[in-house]
Amino acid sequence: MPGGGREVAESCVDSLNLELVATYCKRLHPNKPELAARRIEAIGYQVGLQLAERYTKERPRFADHLEAIKFICKDFWAEVFRKQVDNLKTNHRGVFVLQDNKFRWLTRISVDSAPPGEAAQMDVNAAANASRASQAAGQYLYFPCGLIRGALTNLGVACAVSAEVSTLPACSFVVRVKV
Amino acid sequence: MIASVAVVGQENNPLYLQSFIDGDDALKFHYIVHSSLDIIEEKVNNPKKPGVSLNETYLGLLYPTEDYRVFGYLSNTKIKFILVTTDQDVRDADVRNFFHRFHAAYVEAASNPFHVPGKRITATAFTERVTNIVKSFGASSLA
Repeated sequence: MPGGGREVAESCVDSLNLELVATYCKRLHPNKPELAARRIEAIGYQVGLQLAERYTKERPRFADHLEAIKFICKDFWAEVFRKQVDNLKTNHRGVFVLQDNKFRWLTRISVDSAPPGEAAQMDVNAAANASRASQAAGQYLYFPCGLIRGALTNLGVACAVSAEVSTLPACSFVVRVKV
Repeated sequence: MIASVAVVGQENNPLYLQSFIDGDDALKFHYIVHSSLDIIEEKVNNPKKPGVSLNETYLGLLYPTEDYRVFGYLSNTKIKFILVTTDQDVRDADVRNFFHRFHAAYVEAASNPFHVPGKRITATAFTERVTNIVKSFGASSLA
């Protein structure tokens, strides 16, 4: 960040996100995955509100929703995830898809390989592994989803955000603007 | 000299108001700030009016009264910052500078994890910081 702003060690943010999921999904609400997701999302939401206020301090106001979304894709993403969104798609009716081919917070996540005895079923396992990986990684996207929703809401774009993982570490965020 | 400063939230809810005039006439400043909100709305919705460039956060002089001049600033997140001053002749650069520092102070206060978004700012650290900014505003206009 220009001007020598305060910084946070990236490994701390990684560990915090891991621990957040471990605490809410495994310890506090092991039988209620939806409640755990909502709680983590809510924490992300408040952080997003605050970050949006901070990162838009020096810029003129946005004229419309698209400008706010573009800001999220470029400057906000660069500040938080150290790169820009790779692809932005929209149906021009309030749905935006933000695709990131190498989402920073997923780059250090891997899935246990199959037990050695089942090596013969390699093909089956590969497919199963992939689906398990995206399922497990989904939990770690609750927080960033909240982050994006919080930032957009504070910029005047009321919306819902969900995430999809295809192959690690690529993922996409779907923003649905509320009309 | 600055008479009063205020922060107003997204739903035009008061977040913070501080008066720097002896004698507690906060209510009067509430009135002034409240009536300036209409002018902010008008300025934002009719950007063609001369004086304010498109979508700039600094809105300039909102209106002069007999005793005060009221300046406004609207952040990207629809937070309004309002400055009421008794000086009839204020340098534009000073006011801009003041709002930048005021906004920065607000960002810090809003990032406090104990601050609930949309509620009044009660942190004493914020009050102290704003008081300092207000004091240095007087100093810079003298120099």
